[in-house]
Amino acid sequence: MGIPTTSVAARVRHVWRLSERLREKAIEWAIRICGWSAIFFVLAIFFFVFREAAPMLLGGLDFKEFFTSPNWRPTSQVRPEYGILALLVGSLSLAGVAMAVAVPFGLGAAVFISEFCGGKTKETLKIVIELLAAVPSIVWGFVGLFVLAPLIVEWTGAQVGVNLLNAGIVVALMSVPIIVSIGEDALKAVPDSYREAALSLGASRWEIVYRVLFPAAKNGLLAAVLLGVGRAIGETMAVLMCTGHSINIPHSLLDPIRALTATIATELGDTVEGDEHWQALFTIGVVLFTITFVINLTADLVVKGIRSEKSA
Amino acid sequence: MSLPASDGGDGSRYVNADTLEDALAIIAERHDDWSRQTGYPLCLEIVCQRPGGTVHPRGRSRYNFFVDTSGSAADGAGTELDPYGGVSSAATELIRLRRAGRLDLRAGQRIRLWHREMFSATSLERRKRIREAVARSVFSIMVTALVIPVLAIIAYLFFRAAPVISPAFLFENPKDGMTGGGIWAPLVGTFYLAIISLCIDAPIGILAAIYLNEYAPDNWFTRMINLAVVNLAGVPSIVHGLFGFGAFVLAARMGASVLAASCTLAVMSLPVIITCTREALASVPMSFREACWNLGATRWQTIRTIVLPNSFGGILTGVIFEICRTAGETAPILFTGVVFYMSGLPDHGLESVLPYGLFDQCLALQYHLFISSTQMTGVTEETLFGMAAVLVGLTLTINSVSISMRIYLRSRKKW
Repeated sequence: MGIPTTSVAARVRHVWRLSERLREKAIEWAIRICGWSAIFFVLAIFFFVFREAAPMLLGGLDFKEFFTSPNWRPTSQVRPEYGILALLVGSLSLAGVAMAVAVPFGLGAAVFISEFCGGKTKETLKIVIELLAAVPSIVWGFVGLFVLAPLIVEWTGAQVGVNLLNAGIVVALMSVPIIVSIGEDALKAVPDSYREAALSLGASRWEIVYRVLFPAAKNGLLAAVLLGVGRAIGETMAVLMCTGHSINIPHSLLDPIRALTATIATELGDTVEGDEHWQALFTIGVVLFTITFVINLTADLVVKGIRSEKSA
Repeated sequence: MSLPASDGGDGSRYVNADTLEDALAIIAERHDDWSRQTGYPLCLEIVCQRPGGTVHPRGRSRYNFFVDTSGSAADGAGTELDPYGGVSSAATELIRLRRAGRLDLRAGQRIRLWHREMFSATSLERRKRIREAVARSVFSIMVTALVIPVLAIIAYLFFRAAPVISPAFLFENPKDGMTGGGIWAPLVGTFYLAIISLCIDAPIGILAAIYLNEYAPDNWFTRMINLAVVNLAGVPSIVHGLFGFGAFVLAARMGASVLAASCTLAVMSLPVIITCTREALASVPMSFREACWNLGATRWQTIRTIVLPNSFGGILTGVIFEICRTAGETAPILFTGVVFYMSGLPDHGLESVLPYGLFDQCLALQYHLFISSTQMTGVTEETLFGMAAVLVGLTLTINSVSISMRIYLRSRKKW
């Protein structure tokens, strides 16, 4: 090649240098492919869950019965029934109770952390909230089962301590950190000039929060609530341990319920691969995936909505 | 009708007067420059009552007038914002109002004359301050109501667990059909799953974050990727479990194994790594990159020599945080590789630290706690509390390491 090379080492060095562009291309492609992997994984999740559910979803499933019948009797010898209404209502009522507790407290805490305190207090509270998020869901379930349930029996006179109320409180505690951190981000995203303008008009802090920040950050706060709902619906282990796990459309806070997620968790182990019950559980998986997908999509659109409005 | 008048300031009680005019005369005589002399704020009250009746000490007054006693103000309308110029002018004005029939003086009615200073707070201001104080205390109560019970619960876990937690509990294997003994093997299993899943998703996640932060053009496709990351984080953990079962256990023929469970956990916690790494990369100032590009470096060279070294600490924080997340997850591994019962677990030596192969099933502390507390009899409550406390202690410790590292790095940052 016309290059004055004297030793093998120099020749190797030369080839190495020549291959630099090639290596860089290879690495950039690796980066690109990893970057696209998130989309790939979401599609893969949908594909693999859908694939197992497909025989039932595409053939023979009576959608009307599936969504409107409260009878979930997959193991019945006479006629197995697959109605998820009671499970769906269970999941939604659980999310409702959890949000009724978590939203006021979560948003209140977000406002307090972002607007009413500063310096050391703020840092400490943020760290404590972050640590809360780290407690595993199984431990929350354990707390519901062994700490909260006896207390509920004692205070309310309910027959069993594992019920809608118990699970609602536990799930509320689990979704509070999300609501606080995203709500705080939303409040932080409001430009300081808004606060300064309100201050110069003589507004107090509360007036700034109520009249300026809430309207300005309402989309972000809504997104925080939506993600909290998503978390509440998707929660599995704590819900399984605290709801009482009996198929039931709840009429009061003290009724035991059963959630979609918990049903999959308990029953999948007992099914035979590929039979109808198995497919029904994967169908529930598809339903759950769809619900959370829609919630996340909505939250994302809501947040993106404000961003484009602001830049416009 | 008798009209007792009080001066409310120096301690003497009501003075009787027969008519409003008399009462006002007494007031004007006694108090014209009283406030100016003493410096006390002034509130004069005229209470209407039948002869011989007693004055109820606390009553709301229907008529409130304000008097500026500094003597410098112009005569006003008697409102809070526009007070009368002095007590005597207030008296004449009140008599005029009375004659015009605008003061209704039935028994029990009260008229108050408030002293008003030039820059004292108006009622609007006071209401505002009260509202502010109420809002602040409500919000702080909300935070306290969140934080205190949770800390109390965690403290209670440790309190109940204290009797069983000992080196033997931590470092011995379970025995008697998993109802007794320690928790060593499950604990090792939890670490196994966390570390192997980390080895799988750390490279993918970090490269993905590099792509999103350094390469991705601002178009719809990138937006899709971001959306996918958010959605991946939002998919319920049990659906991840179904996915892992369908994809890794069945389709990839891994069987229920440590590897399948770790892969499932890796997919689940990929968004955590991506988000944390992106934040770390984004905190490196653009000018660093520009300076490097100006020297003729390519994109990858810039990333390798400038961006990654400067964000290394932040990335490490994210990685540690990811371990903490995977260490507690139960739902994704339910069907993909954990078991509750295993026999012949090695008790000593190297084998007890490396008891599981990649294609074996394993024990995991979170699953162990789940089964022991819901489906087993014969496990003492203390042991259960012990497991829960170890799990909480583990995740909180790992998380605190990550947080304190972040704080340390932030304090050292020079740009």
